[in-house]
Amino acid sequence: MPQFDSHFFSSLIFWELISFGILLWVLSKFALPPILEALETRERKIRDSIDQAEQSRTSAEQRLREYEAKLRGAAQEAEAMLAEARTKSQRMLEENEQRLRAESERIKAETTQEIDRERRKALQDIRGEAADLALLVAEKVLVRSLSDDDNRRFAQEALQSVSADHSASGQA
Amino acid sequence: MEDPLHPFELHTYIPLSLLGLDISINKAVLMMLLVVGAIILFLTKARSSGSLVPTKLQSVAEIMVEFIRGIIHDTMGPEGMRFFSLVTSLFLFILFSNLLGLIPGSYTITSQLVVTGVFAVAMYTLSILLGLKIHGPKFIKAMLIPSGTPPFIVPLMIIIEIISQLARPISLAVRLFANMTAGHVIIGVLVGLTMSGGLLIGWLPFSFTIALYGLEVGIAFIQAYIFTILACVYMGDAYHLH
Repeated sequence: MPQFDSHFFSSLIFWELISFGILLWVLSKFALPPILEALETRERKIRDSIDQAEQSRTSAEQRLREYEAKLRGAAQEAEAMLAEARTKSQRMLEENEQRLRAESERIKAETTQEIDRERRKALQDIRGEAADLALLVAEKVLVRSLSDDDNRRFAQEALQSVSADHSASGQA
Repeated sequence: MEDPLHPFELHTYIPLSLLGLDISINKAVLMMLLVVGAIILFLTKARSSGSLVPTKLQSVAEIMVEFIRGIIHDTMGPEGMRFFSLVTSLFLFILFSNLLGLIPGSYTITSQLVVTGVFAVAMYTLSILLGLKIHGPKFIKAMLIPSGTPPFIVPLMIIIEIISQLARPISLAVRLFANMTAGHVIIGVLVGLTMSGGLLIGWLPFSFTIALYGLEVGIAFIQAYIFTILACVYMGDAYHLH
Protein backbone atom coordinates (compact mmCIF):
# COMPACT_ATOMS: atom_id res chain seq x y z
CA MET A 1 0.00 0.00 0.00
CA PRO A 2 1.31 3.47 -0.78
CA GLN A 3 0.45 4.63 2.75
CA PHE A 4 3.25 2.53 4.16
CA ASP A 5 5.90 4.19 2.06
CA SER A 6 8.08 5.46 4.88
CA HIS A 7 9.73 7.97 2.62
CA PHE A 8 6.92 10.46 3.28
CA PHE A 9 6.48 9.82 7.02
CA SER A 10 8.77 12.56 8.24
CA SER A 11 7.22 15.27 6.12
CA LEU A 12 3.68 14.09 6.88
CA ILE A 13 4.28 14.09 10.63
CA PHE A 14 6.08 17.41 10.51
CA TRP A 15 3.41 19.17 8.50
CA GLU A 16 0.61 17.53 10.45
CA LEU A 17 2.05 18.90 13.68
CA ILE A 18 2.61 22.31 12.11
CA SER A 19 -0.81 22.59 10.54
CA PHE A 20 -2.60 21.20 13.58
CA GLY A 21 -0.60 23.54 15.78
CA ILE A 22 -1.65 26.50 13.66
CA LEU A 23 -5.25 25.34 13.75
CA LEU A 24 -5.22 24.85 17.50
CA TRP A 25 -3.63 28.25 18.06
CA VAL A 26 -6.03 30.13 15.80
CA LEU A 27 -9.06 28.33 17.15
CA SER A 28 -8.22 28.72 20.81
CA LYS A 29 -7.07 32.33 20.42
CA PHE A 30 -9.51 33.79 17.93
CA ALA A 31 -12.23 31.56 16.56
CA LEU A 32 -13.73 29.63 19.43
CA PRO A 33 -13.91 32.14 22.31
CA PRO A 34 -16.36 34.46 20.49
CA ILE A 35 -18.58 31.53 19.56
CA LEU A 36 -18.55 30.16 23.08
CA GLU A 37 -19.15 33.62 24.41
CA ALA A 38 -22.06 34.20 22.02
CA LEU A 39 -23.55 30.91 23.13
CA GLU A 40 -23.16 31.76 26.76
CA THR A 41 -24.52 35.26 26.25
CA ARG A 42 -27.55 33.82 24.52
CA GLU A 43 -28.02 31.24 27.23
CA ARG A 44 -27.74 33.90 29.87
CA LYS A 45 -30.13 36.16 27.99
CA ILE A 46 -32.69 33.41 27.62
CA ARG A 47 -32.36 32.47 31.26
CA ASP A 48 -32.67 36.13 32.26
CA SER A 49 -35.72 36.57 30.06
CA ILE A 50 -37.35 33.53 31.59
CA ASP A 51 -36.50 34.74 35.07
CA GLN A 52 -37.89 38.15 34.28
CA ALA A 53 -41.07 36.69 32.84
CA GLU A 54 -41.43 34.58 35.94
CA GLN A 55 -40.91 37.64 38.10
CA SER A 56 -43.46 39.65 36.14
CA ARG A 57 -45.94 36.84 36.45
CA THR A 58 -45.41 36.61 40.21
CA SER A 59 -45.79 40.33 40.67
CA ALA A 60 -48.87 40.41 38.46
CA GLU A 61 -50.40 37.61 40.47
CA GLN A 62 -49.60 39.40 43.68
CA ARG A 63 -51.12 42.60 42.34
CA LEU A 64 -54.21 40.69 41.29
CA ARG A 65 -54.49 39.22 44.78
CA GLU A 66 -54.12 42.68 46.25
CA TYR A 67 -56.81 44.08 44.00
CA GLU A 68 -59.10 41.21 44.79
CA ALA A 69 -58.56 41.76 48.49
CA LYS A 70 -59.20 45.47 48.02
CA LEU A 71 -62.34 44.72 46.05
CA ARG A 72 -63.50 42.34 48.72
CA GLY A 73 -62.77 44.98 51.36
CA ALA A 74 -64.74 47.56 49.40
CA ALA A 75 -67.67 45.18 49.04
CA GLN A 76 -67.59 44.48 52.76
CA GLU A 77 -67.46 48.17 53.49
CA ALA A 78 -70.41 48.83 51.23
CA GLU A 79 -72.26 46.01 52.91
CA ALA A 80 -71.47 47.45 56.30
CA MET A 81 -72.54 50.91 55.20
CA LEU A 82 -75.75 49.55 53.84
CA ALA A 83 -76.44 47.66 57.04
CA GLU A 84 -75.72 50.74 59.08
CA ALA A 85 -78.01 52.85 56.92
CA ARG A 86 -80.68 50.25 57.30
CA THR A 87 -80.43 50.18 61.09
CA LYS A 88 -80.28 53.94 61.18
CA SER A 89 -83.39 54.32 59.09
CA GLN A 90 -85.08 51.65 61.18
CA ARG A 91 -84.16 53.48 64.32
CA MET A 92 -85.34 56.77 62.90
CA LEU A 93 -88.58 55.19 61.88
CA GLU A 94 -89.07 53.76 65.33
CA GLU A 95 -88.18 57.06 66.95
CA ASN A 96 -90.59 58.90 64.70
CA GLU A 97 -93.31 56.43 65.44
CA GLN A 98 -92.66 56.73 69.14
CA ARG A 99 -92.58 60.48 68.96
CA LEU A 100 -95.78 60.62 66.95
CA ARG A 101 -97.47 58.20 69.27
CA ALA A 102 -96.40 60.26 72.25
CA GLU A 103 -97.58 63.43 70.55
CA SER A 104 -100.94 61.95 69.68
CA GLU A 105 -101.18 60.55 73.20
CA ARG A 106 -100.45 63.99 74.54
CA ILE A 107 -102.95 65.65 72.22
CA LYS A 108 -105.55 63.10 73.14
CA ALA A 109 -104.92 63.63 76.81
CA GLU A 110 -105.09 67.36 76.41
CA THR A 111 -108.27 67.10 74.38
CA THR A 112 -109.83 64.80 76.93
CA GLN A 113 -108.88 67.21 79.66
CA GLU A 114 -110.30 70.10 77.66
CA ILE A 115 -113.51 68.25 77.01
CA ASP A 116 -113.74 67.31 80.64
CA ARG A 117 -113.18 70.84 81.69
CA GLU A 118 -115.75 72.13 79.22
CA ARG A 119 -118.18 69.50 80.29
CA ARG A 120 -117.68 70.35 83.90
CA LYS A 121 -118.07 74.02 83.14
CA ALA A 122 -121.22 73.40 81.11
CA LEU A 123 -122.62 71.26 83.90
CA GLN A 124 -121.89 73.99 86.35
CA ASP A 125 -123.53 76.51 84.08
CA ILE A 126 -126.55 74.30 83.66
CA ARG A 127 -126.68 73.76 87.37
CA GLY A 128 -126.63 77.54 88.01
CA GLU A 129 -129.22 78.14 85.37
CA ALA A 130 -131.41 75.39 86.72
CA ALA A 131 -131.22 76.88 90.19
CA ASP A 132 -132.13 80.30 88.83
CA LEU A 133 -135.01 78.75 86.96
CA ALA A 134 -136.21 76.93 90.02
CA LEU A 135 -136.03 80.10 92.04
CA LEU A 136 -137.94 81.99 89.41
CA VAL A 137 -140.60 79.29 89.13
CA ALA A 138 -140.90 79.14 92.90
CA GLU A 139 -141.26 82.86 93.05
CA LYS A 140 -144.04 82.89 90.53
CA VAL A 141 -145.79 79.97 92.23
CA LEU A 142 -145.48 81.67 95.55
CA VAL A 143 -146.83 85.00 94.25
CA ARG A 144 -150.06 83.52 93.07
CA SER A 145 -151.43 80.84 95.30
CA LEU A 146 -153.96 79.21 93.28
CA SER A 147 -155.77 75.95 92.83
CA ASP A 148 -153.98 72.92 92.03
CA ASP A 149 -155.03 73.28 88.47
CA ASP A 150 -154.13 76.89 88.51
CA ASN A 151 -150.89 76.11 90.21
CA ARG A 152 -150.07 73.58 87.66
CA ARG A 153 -151.13 75.92 84.90
CA PHE A 154 -149.21 78.81 86.40
CA ALA A 155 -146.25 76.73 86.98
CA GLN A 156 -146.49 75.60 83.43
CA GLU A 157 -146.87 79.14 82.23
CA ALA A 158 -144.07 80.32 84.41
CA LEU A 159 -141.89 77.56 83.18
CA GLN A 160 -142.77 78.41 79.65
CA SER A 161 -142.15 82.06 80.15
CA VAL A 162 -138.94 81.32 81.96
CA SER A 163 -137.83 79.04 79.24
CA ALA A 164 -138.95 81.64 76.71
CA ASP A 165 -137.02 84.23 78.64
CA HIS A 166 -134.18 82.02 78.97
CA SER A 167 -134.20 81.16 75.33
CA ALA A 168 -134.70 84.85 74.49
CA SER A 169 -131.85 85.80 76.74
CA GLY A 170 -129.87 82.87 75.38
CA GLN A 171 -130.61 84.13 71.88
CA ALA A 172 -129.75 87.63 72.84
CA MET B 1 -7.97 -1.23 -15.05
CA GLU B 2 -6.57 1.50 -12.87
CA ASP B 3 -4.99 0.56 -9.57
CA PRO B 4 -7.56 1.43 -6.83
CA LEU B 5 -4.69 2.31 -4.48
CA HIS B 6 -3.39 4.86 -6.92
CA PRO B 7 -5.19 7.80 -5.20
CA PHE B 8 -3.15 7.16 -2.05
CA GLU B 9 0.18 7.61 -3.74
CA LEU B 10 2.19 10.69 -2.84
CA HIS B 11 4.72 12.54 -4.95
CA THR B 12 7.09 15.17 -3.74
CA TYR B 13 6.18 18.55 -5.22
CA ILE B 14 8.68 20.79 -3.52
CA PRO B 15 11.68 19.12 -1.89
CA LEU B 16 12.45 20.65 1.51
CA SER B 17 14.55 19.57 4.41
CA LEU B 18 14.98 20.84 7.95
CA LEU B 19 17.99 19.75 9.99
CA GLY B 20 18.37 16.72 7.80
CA LEU B 21 14.69 15.89 8.14
CA ASP B 22 12.76 15.51 4.91
CA ILE B 23 9.84 17.91 5.06
CA SER B 24 9.08 18.04 1.38
CA ILE B 25 5.75 19.42 0.24
CA ASN B 26 3.46 16.83 -1.29
CA LYS B 27 -0.26 16.54 -1.97
CA ALA B 28 -1.11 15.48 1.57
CA VAL B 29 0.76 18.44 3.02
CA LEU B 30 -1.09 20.80 0.70
CA MET B 31 -4.37 19.23 1.80
CA MET B 32 -3.46 19.70 5.45
CA LEU B 33 -2.89 23.40 4.87
CA LEU B 34 -6.10 23.57 2.85
CA VAL B 35 -8.03 21.84 5.64
CA VAL B 36 -6.67 24.25 8.24
CA GLY B 37 -7.51 27.19 5.96
CA ALA B 38 -11.03 25.88 5.35
CA ILE B 39 -11.71 25.39 9.06
CA ILE B 40 -10.42 28.84 9.94
CA LEU B 41 -12.46 30.37 7.13
CA PHE B 42 -15.57 28.50 8.26
CA LEU B 43 -15.24 29.58 11.88
CA THR B 44 -14.30 33.16 11.01
CA LYS B 45 -17.30 33.48 8.73
CA ALA B 46 -19.49 31.83 11.36
CA ARG B 47 -18.54 34.21 14.11
CA SER B 48 -18.35 37.34 11.98
CA SER B 49 -21.92 38.39 12.70
CA GLY B 50 -21.64 37.73 16.41
CA SER B 51 -25.20 38.89 16.87
CA LEU B 52 -27.62 37.43 19.35
CA VAL B 53 -29.81 36.06 16.59
CA PRO B 54 -27.50 33.71 14.74
CA THR B 55 -27.00 33.52 11.00
CA LYS B 56 -27.21 30.14 9.30
CA LEU B 57 -23.47 29.53 9.34
CA GLN B 58 -23.27 30.77 12.91
CA SER B 59 -26.00 28.29 13.85
CA VAL B 60 -24.02 25.47 12.27
CA ALA B 61 -20.89 26.49 14.15
CA GLU B 62 -22.84 26.86 17.38
CA ILE B 63 -24.50 23.47 16.97
CA MET B 64 -21.05 21.99 16.46
CA VAL B 65 -19.67 23.79 19.49
CA GLU B 66 -22.64 22.62 21.56
CA PHE B 67 -22.10 19.11 20.25
CA ILE B 68 -18.44 19.05 21.26
CA ARG B 69 -19.25 20.66 24.57
CA GLY B 70 -21.78 17.87 25.13
CA ILE B 71 -19.17 15.22 24.35
CA ILE B 72 -16.72 16.79 26.78
CA HIS B 73 -19.32 17.16 29.53
CA ASP B 74 -20.45 13.57 29.08
CA THR B 75 -16.99 12.05 29.13
CA MET B 76 -14.81 14.36 31.22
CA GLY B 77 -17.27 16.54 33.04
CA PRO B 78 -17.09 20.33 33.25
CA GLU B 79 -13.36 20.22 34.14
CA GLY B 80 -12.68 18.90 30.67
CA MET B 81 -13.65 22.23 29.14
CA ARG B 82 -10.00 23.28 29.34
CA PHE B 83 -9.45 20.86 26.46
CA PHE B 84 -12.31 22.33 24.49
CA SER B 85 -10.11 24.00 21.88
CA LEU B 86 -7.99 20.89 21.47
CA VAL B 87 -10.97 18.58 21.07
CA THR B 88 -12.70 20.98 18.69
CA SER B 89 -9.55 21.33 16.59
CA LEU B 90 -9.14 17.56 16.50
CA PHE B 91 -12.75 16.98 15.51
CA LEU B 92 -12.77 19.67 12.83
CA PHE B 93 -9.38 18.63 11.44
CA ILE B 94 -10.48 15.03 11.03
CA LEU B 95 -13.94 15.96 9.76
CA PHE B 96 -12.66 18.43 7.17
CA SER B 97 -9.90 16.00 6.11
CA ASN B 98 -12.49 13.28 5.59
CA LEU B 99 -14.93 15.56 3.76
CA LEU B 100 -12.42 17.41 1.57
CA GLY B 101 -10.81 14.08 0.76
CA LEU B 102 -14.06 13.03 -0.88
CA ILE B 103 -13.64 15.68 -3.57
CA PRO B 104 -12.33 13.85 -6.63
CA GLY B 105 -8.72 14.69 -7.30
CA SER B 106 -8.01 15.75 -3.71
CA TYR B 107 -6.19 13.73 -1.11
CA THR B 108 -7.61 12.17 2.05
CA ILE B 109 -5.10 12.96 4.79
CA THR B 110 -6.79 10.62 7.23
CA SER B 111 -6.15 7.69 4.90
CA GLN B 112 -2.49 7.94 5.98
CA LEU B 113 -1.91 5.70 8.98
CA VAL B 114 0.97 7.85 10.13
CA VAL B 115 -1.32 10.89 10.31
CA THR B 116 -4.06 9.15 12.28
CA GLY B 117 -1.35 7.46 14.33
CA VAL B 118 0.13 10.78 15.41
CA PHE B 119 -3.29 11.99 16.55
CA ALA B 120 -4.09 8.73 18.31
CA VAL B 121 -0.74 8.47 20.10
CA ALA B 122 -0.82 12.15 21.01
CA MET B 123 -4.32 11.99 22.49
CA TYR B 124 -3.59 8.75 24.30
CA THR B 125 -0.34 10.10 25.73
CA LEU B 126 -2.15 13.23 26.80
CA SER B 127 -4.74 11.13 28.64
CA ILE B 128 -2.00 9.19 30.45
CA LEU B 129 -0.12 12.35 31.39
CA LEU B 130 -3.35 13.96 32.56
CA GLY B 131 -4.14 10.94 34.73
CA LEU B 132 -0.66 11.00 36.23
CA LYS B 133 -0.93 14.71 36.90
CA ILE B 134 -4.31 14.43 38.59
CA HIS B 135 -3.92 11.15 40.53
CA GLY B 136 -0.16 10.49 40.60
CA PRO B 137 1.14 6.91 40.55
CA LYS B 138 -2.23 5.69 41.81
CA PHE B 139 -3.47 6.28 38.27
CA ILE B 140 -1.20 3.58 36.80
CA LYS B 141 -2.36 1.12 39.45
CA ALA B 142 -6.03 1.92 38.79
CA MET B 143 -5.39 1.65 35.07
CA LEU B 144 -3.77 -1.78 35.23
CA ILE B 145 -5.72 -3.36 38.08
CA PRO B 146 -9.44 -2.76 37.93
CA SER B 147 -10.98 -2.33 41.38
CA GLY B 148 -12.38 -5.53 42.84
CA THR B 149 -9.89 -7.82 41.14
CA PRO B 150 -9.13 -10.92 43.25
CA PRO B 151 -5.42 -10.88 44.21
CA PHE B 152 -4.52 -14.17 42.54
CA ILE B 153 -5.42 -12.96 39.04
CA VAL B 154 -3.71 -9.59 39.42
CA PRO B 155 -0.67 -10.61 37.30
CA LEU B 156 -2.94 -11.85 34.55
CA MET B 157 -5.04 -8.68 34.76
CA ILE B 158 -1.95 -6.53 34.46
CA ILE B 159 -0.96 -8.29 31.23
CA ILE B 160 -4.48 -8.05 29.83
CA GLU B 161 -4.82 -4.41 30.81
CA ILE B 162 -1.46 -3.51 29.26
CA ILE B 163 -2.60 -5.11 26.03
CA SER B 164 -5.94 -3.34 26.18
CA GLN B 165 -4.23 -0.03 26.93
CA LEU B 166 -1.84 -0.47 24.00
CA ALA B 167 -4.78 -1.41 21.82
CA ARG B 168 -6.35 1.95 22.50
CA PRO B 169 -4.11 4.19 20.35
CA ILE B 170 -3.61 1.46 17.78
CA SER B 171 -7.33 0.84 17.34
CA LEU B 172 -7.98 4.58 17.33
CA ALA B 173 -5.46 5.12 14.54
CA VAL B 174 -6.31 2.04 12.51
CA ARG B 175 -10.07 2.55 12.71
CA LEU B 176 -9.94 5.96 11.08
CA PHE B 177 -7.25 5.04 8.58
CA ALA B 178 -8.96 1.80 7.55
CA ASN B 179 -12.38 3.37 7.19
CA MET B 180 -11.12 6.16 5.02
CA THR B 181 -8.90 3.91 2.93
CA ALA B 182 -11.57 1.26 2.47
CA GLY B 183 -14.20 3.74 1.36
CA HIS B 184 -11.92 5.26 -1.21
CA VAL B 185 -10.70 1.89 -2.40
CA ILE B 186 -14.26 0.67 -2.93
CA ILE B 187 -15.16 3.84 -4.81
CA GLY B 188 -11.94 3.47 -6.83
CA VAL B 189 -12.77 -0.12 -7.67
CA LEU B 190 -16.29 0.78 -8.73
CA VAL B 191 -15.07 3.66 -10.85
CA GLY B 192 -12.57 1.27 -12.45
CA LEU B 193 -15.39 -1.16 -13.18
CA THR B 194 -17.45 1.67 -14.68
CA MET B 195 -14.57 2.60 -16.94
CA SER B 196 -13.91 -0.96 -18.10
CA GLY B 197 -17.59 -1.96 -18.25
CA GLY B 198 -18.52 0.52 -20.89
CA LEU B 199 -22.01 1.90 -21.46
CA LEU B 200 -23.73 -1.47 -21.54
CA ILE B 201 -22.96 -2.53 -17.96
CA GLY B 202 -20.95 0.40 -16.64
CA TRP B 203 -24.01 2.25 -15.32
CA LEU B 204 -24.44 -0.35 -12.59
CA PRO B 205 -21.13 0.19 -10.75
CA PHE B 206 -21.45 3.90 -11.50
CA SER B 207 -24.79 4.10 -9.68
CA PHE B 208 -23.15 2.29 -6.78
CA THR B 209 -20.46 4.95 -6.60
CA ILE B 210 -23.17 7.58 -6.19
CA ALA B 211 -24.76 5.67 -3.33
CA LEU B 212 -21.34 5.05 -1.81
CA TYR B 213 -20.49 8.71 -1.95
CA GLY B 214 -23.53 9.42 0.19
CA LEU B 215 -22.44 6.72 2.56
CA GLU B 216 -18.91 8.08 2.63
CA VAL B 217 -20.14 11.52 3.64
CA GLY B 218 -21.92 9.89 6.56
CA ILE B 219 -18.82 7.88 7.42
CA ALA B 220 -16.73 11.05 7.29
CA PHE B 221 -18.88 12.51 10.07
CA ILE B 222 -19.19 9.28 12.03
CA GLN B 223 -15.47 8.55 12.03
CA ALA B 224 -14.60 12.07 13.10
CA TYR B 225 -17.15 11.73 15.88
CA ILE B 226 -15.87 8.30 16.95
CA PHE B 227 -12.25 9.42 17.00
CA THR B 228 -13.14 12.51 19.04
CA ILE B 229 -15.41 10.80 21.52
CA LEU B 230 -12.94 7.96 22.11
CA ALA B 231 -10.13 10.43 22.70
CA CYS B 232 -12.45 12.19 25.17
CA VAL B 233 -13.36 8.91 26.85
CA TYR B 234 -9.67 8.12 27.36
CA MET B 235 -9.12 11.55 28.85
CA GLY B 236 -12.27 11.08 30.92
CA ASP B 237 -10.71 7.92 32.36
CA ALA B 238 -7.87 10.12 33.52
CA TYR B 239 -10.34 12.28 35.43
CA HIS B 240 -12.48 9.53 36.87
CA LEU B 241 -10.70 6.45 38.17
CA HIS B 242 -12.64 3.22 38.25
